[in-house]
Amino acid sequence: MSAFRQLLALSSAMMLAAPAYAADPITIGIPVGLSGSNSVVAPSVVQAAQLAVDEINTKGGVLGRKLALEIADDASGAIGAQRAFDSLLFQKKVDVLISMETSAARNAGLPAVNKSKTPYIYTSFYEGKSCSPNMFVDAWVPAQQVPPIVDQFMTANKAKTFFMIGSDYSFGRGMLSFTKEYIEKKGGKVVGDEYLPMDGTDWTPIISKLRASGADALITSTAGGAPNVTLTKQLRAAGVTIPYGNLAVDEGTAKGMGADATGIYISASYVTGIDSPENKAFLAAMAAKFGADLKTPNDLSVPEYEAVYLYKAAVEKAGSLDKAKILAQLGRVSFKGPRGVVTMDKQHHASLTMYLGQVQADGSVKVAKSFPNVDPGAQCPKL
Amino acid sequence: MNGAAVLTLGLDIVTTAAILFTVATGLLIIFGVMKIVNFAHGAFITLGAYAGLVASELGLSPWLGLPLAFLAGAACGALVERCVVRPLYGRPLDAILATWGLGIIIGELLTLVFGREVQFVGSPLSGTVDVLGEAYSVYRLFLVVAALIVGGGFAWLLGATRLGLATRAVIMNEDLARGLGINAGWVRFITFSLGSGLAGLAGALITPLSSVDPNMGVPWLLNAFMLVMVSGASLGALLAASVLLGGAQVVISSLASPILGGLTIVVLAALLLRVRPKGFAR
Repeated sequence: MSAFRQLLALSSAMMLAAPAYAADPITIGIPVGLSGSNSVVAPSVVQAAQLAVDEINTKGGVLGRKLALEIADDASGAIGAQRAFDSLLFQKKVDVLISMETSAARNAGLPAVNKSKTPYIYTSFYEGKSCSPNMFVDAWVPAQQVPPIVDQFMTANKAKTFFMIGSDYSFGRGMLSFTKEYIEKKGGKVVGDEYLPMDGTDWTPIISKLRASGADALITSTAGGAPNVTLTKQLRAAGVTIPYGNLAVDEGTAKGMGADATGIYISASYVTGIDSPENKAFLAAMAAKFGADLKTPNDLSVPEYEAVYLYKAAVEKAGSLDKAKILAQLGRVSFKGPRGVVTMDKQHHASLTMYLGQVQADGSVKVAKSFPNVDPGAQCPKL
Repeated sequence: MNGAAVLTLGLDIVTTAAILFTVATGLLIIFGVMKIVNFAHGAFITLGAYAGLVASELGLSPWLGLPLAFLAGAACGALVERCVVRPLYGRPLDAILATWGLGIIIGELLTLVFGREVQFVGSPLSGTVDVLGEAYSVYRLFLVVAALIVGGGFAWLLGATRLGLATRAVIMNEDLARGLGINAGWVRFITFSLGSGLAGLAGALITPLSSVDPNMGVPWLLNAFMLVMVSGASLGALLAASVLLGGAQVVISSLASPILGGLTIVVLAALLLRVRPKGFAR
């Protein structure tokens, strides 16, 4: 069903691109993991981009030209990304790339981006410190996601000792080593950190260690999907009730987990429950456009939506489609979207409003607190 | 290490062994009778887990999911025996290839029907119970009971029924059994269905601890395969292997690192087979 829709979107994009006259559309390339590990979230990203493009086109486009999408599957990995980036940049000759991807795919695609000097807005939260003069990031890095949860546990829950559990891969370990640093900087103590291989599902020995450690609070960063779910279920089955912050759970997964997820703290730059007129308008427009096929907007799809508007603002400010001029503007322009005001002015990264949410009994996420303008820190000091 | 930690470690070992035993039994009986390794075992585990998922989505009691999962596994196993495995009895290597491929096909079919995402089944038993002053997961303790029922039922089937007698005869000497008028083809059909059914049941039993996704059976298949390799065709040997190798896994995970723990069963099984090619089997 969704493959059919993507085909439809693709072919309509191609039809738009076909006639060659003065007002060719401005093409936005979206390399994204329609297959592979990102396939669960990729359709929501494409939908968010489609809404942004539609909205902009009905209001007259950008510099009098329409926007069009070119979507390419990167299979969520490095090899697919090289192919997708090459075809978008050198065959389709897109004007800009805007997409969320795995870190492996982003790293594999960057050389092609740098070679063609095409602006690239990366819209996925990631482990941080990936720098290129052509790349801007409008999503969070660990320095923005971790502090809200730790601060909440140390002040509201009076936690002094922390236990950390993760999946054994670079993002999981990176997140938790940052978390450990932050906890210790704030005067807390990490009494244990344990990792399980990514395909591991039996957390029993780790949970026994957690209980023996007597920690006041727990912070986890597992791979998405199965490891996250199995850990949470086994924690609940073992009767673990200490404050529990999960750095890897999103709203959809939390909802699916049912009662086991109740009480979990999450930290994100977007949750559907954000109480702002921009977010309400965005959610209503998404529902009107996609109806029953709507993929719930999330922390990976909303940055995509906003990035299209950020690109529009940069092009308008540059006054032309000259790539160097647009790149010079991308770090200056702002857009007030569902997540609040976003400006990618911090060494190609953005200060963001971070939301601390707590999963409720019905699976929804309630915003417990918001932290405006959380700085990404020094991500790319050389840019 | 204090008393409470030792107690928890002991409980972890017993419950882990019970889970491994339950997951490996179905593979063991098929290997014992048919001398082929059913590499679709992991897919049958996954199938059983989805049967449990369907039961819970229909609003049935989580307990009903268990027999349903057994039936789903057994029905699928019966079909597979007829269409795929039967022509390959004399060709164990081809059977490995066929069942491995079959496992992939079942996984993809499940993906087509249920989607790739991770799904969830509620637990029939939740919370903890006091064991000598230590709170411990009720469901993990229940799995020990389930393993005993599976093992006991299976031992009874083999030891006290006519079918069991015929099965043992086929295991010992198939040609002779055939000469005595035992329908070896029928025994194989029943065995394969039963083994697949047990895989399905195991799938439904482990889902309350884990999640349901199209590839969930694969890690279980590897451990079950190793356990069966060191156990031969003996249920008692499988029990011993589950307790010893599973126990070693828990101890190494708890005292050293869970990453090393994940390797324990595979490494120990390989070493064991090097030193004692018959493994735990007498």
